[in-house]
Amino acid sequence: MSRANVRRLALPLLVFVGLLLVWEAAVPALRIQPIILPPPSGVATAIVETAGPIAFHARHTLVTTLIGFGAAVGLGLLLGFAIGASVTVNDALYPLLVGFNSIPKAAVVPLLVMWFGIGAVPAVLTAFLLAFFPVAVNVAVGLATLESELRDVLRALGASRWQIFRKVGVPRTMPLFFASLKVAVSSAFVGSVISETVASNAGIGYLMAVAASDFNTRLAFGGLFVLAAMGVLLYGVFAIVERRVTGWAYAE
Amino acid sequence: MSLRDVGFEYVTSDRRVIRALEGVSIDIPRGTTVAFVGPSGCGKSTLLKLIAGLLTTTRGSVVVDGRAVVGPLKHVGMAFQNPVLLPWRTVLDNLLLPLEIMRENGDPRTPNRVAGRDRALALLRTVGLDGAEHRQPRELSGGMRQRVSLCRALIHEPALLLLDEPFAALDAFTREEMWELHQALGLDRAFTGVLVTHDLREAVFLAETIYVMATDPGRIAHVHPVTFPVPRTLGELYGPAGTELIRQMRDEIRPRREASA
Repeated sequence: MSRANVRRLALPLLVFVGLLLVWEAAVPALRIQPIILPPPSGVATAIVETAGPIAFHARHTLVTTLIGFGAAVGLGLLLGFAIGASVTVNDALYPLLVGFNSIPKAAVVPLLVMWFGIGAVPAVLTAFLLAFFPVAVNVAVGLATLESELRDVLRALGASRWQIFRKVGVPRTMPLFFASLKVAVSSAFVGSVISETVASNAGIGYLMAVAASDFNTRLAFGGLFVLAAMGVLLYGVFAIVERRVTGWAYAE
Repeated sequence: MSLRDVGFEYVTSDRRVIRALEGVSIDIPRGTTVAFVGPSGCGKSTLLKLIAGLLTTTRGSVVVDGRAVVGPLKHVGMAFQNPVLLPWRTVLDNLLLPLEIMRENGDPRTPNRVAGRDRALALLRTVGLDGAEHRQPRELSGGMRQRVSLCRALIHEPALLLLDEPFAALDAFTREEMWELHQALGLDRAFTGVLVTHDLREAVFLAETIYVMATDPGRIAHVHPVTFPVPRTLGELYGPAGTELIRQMRDEIRPRREASA
């Protein structure tokens, strides 16, 4: 690992550990009740003690998120290609998409519960609803910003619209598509946890809601830490995939 | 190739009719290079797109090889000020793109893969980029990218080469090198060249006939045959005859600009 990489990992880690230490010291020093704010050591104990259930619920959240995310990527790609390739489709759909995206998705969860009942289905759908917009928009932008000179060079060779789309449109959209994946996976994660918190019987969101109603603050915080770790992990995986697949898009 | 009374009009978003070109009638003999020079907005680039069939004339007709142009011609080389290389492909794969499209479209003129590759490497050698075939476009300088772009325009041995300000973004010395290079490429290939440029010296160096255009409506105002024998040298270009021709064309373009300003 190069010095720059060590630095990139070590510095934020150092700040994080420092913050935990301050927190640990502040709880007894300021005489804060552990039921209001438990110290990090207490949270860690809770995580270890409840490791079994946490693992179960974390897996549930992960699966829910990934199913919603997968569906969002599929539909986002299709919609993005349609919008980016055709001015008519763009004019017809883009304003609707923007309008749709400005609805706070948490407001949709009660409707989803009414239709599909309490469980994983509303969580998958909420994840999907939050995640497909960034994918669709990025793909559409990638296609729509194709240089007109390049299009002319290819058309003057007798290339069809389909050939231009395949040879140039799709590859040049890939950096934007992969950049959108890490945003979309984070959004999907937010969506599934929101839905789990409101209406589910499994998942970290559900675990935290139950812990909070039991005044088990330590476990609620434990859930929060697990969520943070999962969120960072999901984002990280797709950030690495992006670098690997579309490294050409970044200047050395 | 001939253009007969070619006109092109379009309607702007505020519903004004713009006469981009009017009454352009010229003949371009096979194997010669012509240049269009003139102030911005005189329809030079539009004319190029009409010849390539990327735009359709609103009046008159463009005839290439005895046939009227109604859609995009299928075997034309084009290069622009912006080299528009594909950043995810190596130099070599950028060059092979035209051949890929021809192969997919079943064009009988497509060379086989080995011959195509050899042709690409030979072109790179001619423009002094041997050994660069596996490099990425982002690793190249502007002049190198422009050379690759020129090679891509020639790889399929087009009968017609259309150049729209191809060297405008380069520094003066690189530009002169590119003129000589372009001339060298033209000597062992039999393409008809159409060059659109702001640079009068470039036009004098590369073209057999120069059309000076005027604006509003875009039209051809003057025609100058360039009589220096080919191959030309930069010495001739900057000699008395070349300088005199450039001065004359500048005078033709300038007063109109001042009048319209």
